[in-house]
Amino acid sequence: MKLTVSYPPHIRDGTTIETVTWNKIVMVAIVALISIYVFGLPALALIVVSVLFAALTELCIQKLANQELTLKDGDAILIGLLIALLLPPTAPVWAPALGAVFAVGLVKHAFGGLGTTMFNPAITAWVFMNISWERLTASGSVPYIGEYSDLLLELGAGRLAEVSPIIFIIGGLYLVYKKYIDWRIPFSYLIVAIALALLLGEEMSYVVTGMLFLGAFIFANDTATSPITKRGRLVYGALCGVLTVVYGYFTYNYVVAVLYTIFFLNAVSAFIEKHTVPKPVDEVVA
Amino acid sequence: MSDSAKNTMTDEEKNTAAPEETEEHRKQVVIPLLQHRGAACEPLVEVGDTVLRGQKIGEEDEYGLAVSIHSSVSGRVIAIEERLHPHCSKQPSIIIESDGASESIKFKTNKNPSKAQILDSLEDAGIIELNGYPVYNTLLTEKTIDTVILNLTNPGDVSSNCTGENISKIISGVKLLMTASGASQAAIVANKNNKQIASSIQSRLGASTKLVTVKRNYMPSMSNLLAYDMTGIRISNTGTPADAGVIVSSAHSALAVSRAVLEGIPLIDVNLTVSGVVSELCVKTVAIGTSFQDVVQSCGGYVGEPGKIIMNGVLSGTAQVTDEVPVIKTVTEITVQPPHEVLREKTGSCVHCARCVDVCPVNILPGRIAAFADVGKYDECEKLHVQSCVECGMCSYVCPSGRYNLQLIRFAKTALLQGFKIPEEKQYPIIKLGCQSCNHPCHMWAPLDGIPLKGSDKE
Repeated sequence: MKLTVSYPPHIRDGTTIETVTWNKIVMVAIVALISIYVFGLPALALIVVSVLFAALTELCIQKLANQELTLKDGDAILIGLLIALLLPPTAPVWAPALGAVFAVGLVKHAFGGLGTTMFNPAITAWVFMNISWERLTASGSVPYIGEYSDLLLELGAGRLAEVSPIIFIIGGLYLVYKKYIDWRIPFSYLIVAIALALLLGEEMSYVVTGMLFLGAFIFANDTATSPITKRGRLVYGALCGVLTVVYGYFTYNYVVAVLYTIFFLNAVSAFIEKHTVPKPVDEVVA
Repeated sequence: MSDSAKNTMTDEEKNTAAPEETEEHRKQVVIPLLQHRGAACEPLVEVGDTVLRGQKIGEEDEYGLAVSIHSSVSGRVIAIEERLHPHCSKQPSIIIESDGASESIKFKTNKNPSKAQILDSLEDAGIIELNGYPVYNTLLTEKTIDTVILNLTNPGDVSSNCTGENISKIISGVKLLMTASGASQAAIVANKNNKQIASSIQSRLGASTKLVTVKRNYMPSMSNLLAYDMTGIRISNTGTPADAGVIVSSAHSALAVSRAVLEGIPLIDVNLTVSGVVSELCVKTVAIGTSFQDVVQSCGGYVGEPGKIIMNGVLSGTAQVTDEVPVIKTVTEITVQPPHEVLREKTGSCVHCARCVDVCPVNILPGRIAAFADVGKYDECEKLHVQSCVECGMCSYVCPSGRYNLQLIRFAKTALLQGFKIPEEKQYPIIKLGCQSCNHPCHMWAPLDGIPLKGSDKE
């Protein structure tokens, strides 16, 4: 009789990194398909190039460094997809290629790979592209959710990610329901952002865009770059909301506000985490 | 031919091939001298002695723990030697060959015992709570106890012990514990899986008994947390539930107390549930020292080849090297996994998803502590309150990267206990610290802070 001996646990709940990432990819890919429908071939070219270069970069780095190939966990593919979605359809195809190499090579793998990134790779790549070639990566129009049907299909979208906010809402709620992502960051982010914008009398049509939901459910909730403590996540989400509205209030651009907010808060997430470490239940107050 | 048909055939072949051998095997019991937390007992018998069922064969002197060990069969002592122990180590054990007569010593029955009589009969009954602490020593506390909590949330314990006529014995056991500790009331903690049993016990215990429904399963190691959740009084990790004025009892202990006091029978057999790939899921009363193999055989044997045999639950239980290990006092559950269910996934890197933080019952950061333990930074683990961990195993269960958080946390705890010895002896920590696959590390034998000892009141 051959018996296996191992440490506990002897069962797992079945959720793996792959399930979580591939579920996110499905959600983002649906938006990508809609953006191809709206923008046509330029969008398709951006998405294909971006995903291809992200995957190739990861493959090359892991081959060269003699590491185990982790392409099937989907992380590089998700980064590639997201980089393409942050660009306007008018962007040249070499932009996402360089962006993907930068994101996967420098932001992800130079800092240790999956789970150890300091900044969200896709957002950092967007910041890099935006600073380097601002005119080429700036969007031609600003999304305006005037009617409820715009939530389903927003034809005035400037960037690929803005074409269908409803997909991110439904997809995000599904991910929360399946416990693939935590509810604290997206909920506190959205509640604080919308409440503050209402308080300041902002026009909601500019605030509630596809980018806000993508930011709340995917970017701000990126596990490696957000705090792990429960209170820390609530604080992080709330700060995201505050900063987004502050940036948007003064620049009138709520899309860029989301991206720069999350980029900035990535830098202070460790600080938030350090100051929100919970007290264990057995700590006796003397 | 279908799988089940194949299995029945192999079973028949086995049975016809060597019936005598299994019969011979069943006559032996291996009773380890260490079945609790603390130092091993000293044997009171010698090789060649004849013993009766219920006769005391081992006693602990050094620390004054009431953890006596009794023979579970009548027969002859054929060896006292190191044998495999279900906590993954070798322990000195008394091997008794049964004469088949199961002749017992005369058990003293007592229908209406006083407090002194209860304590008197518990002192030698060797009853051990499932977390390894002797019940008698818990009752000796100088603190005022006002409530006895019956924990019915440990699935293995409930499925094994809360059956049939045992329920009335559990009820009388709780009453005896109340008398012995001077508690004025009892409370029953249950979750939705066993609410019916709990409410029937509550109605028979009387009006002062509270029934509390919780969502969590409180494993034996979590009695401090249970006491905190029920009373709201924080208990330090070196304390006991008595600090909050309560005694936490499992169904197993309540049953054993009632048997020991009313019927005079010491803890010589336990009820356990056998589940997984065996012919039928069954609840058995088993003599201590019976091998796991015999228990499974009495439940109809394995269906197919077993892949893993787990003692006490799949979340934090111990996988066994062989099925020849004996049943000890704290076993409530044996789970047999088929080979295809055995986890073989690779451990990935931590992505800081914080799922472990969300499920942690004691508000610590398991993933972070495990990461520090992995690189040997045990002082950092201590700063992050590694000692508060109650070892429920949930952090490993939910980890999407398949990381062994529980093992690393236990590793850090043992390292902190042993910490100052390692550099002197210049030994690799991994050799000194053991494998951490059980909650009873081989080198961690006397951490009994907070448990009152027999001799303590004299000093």
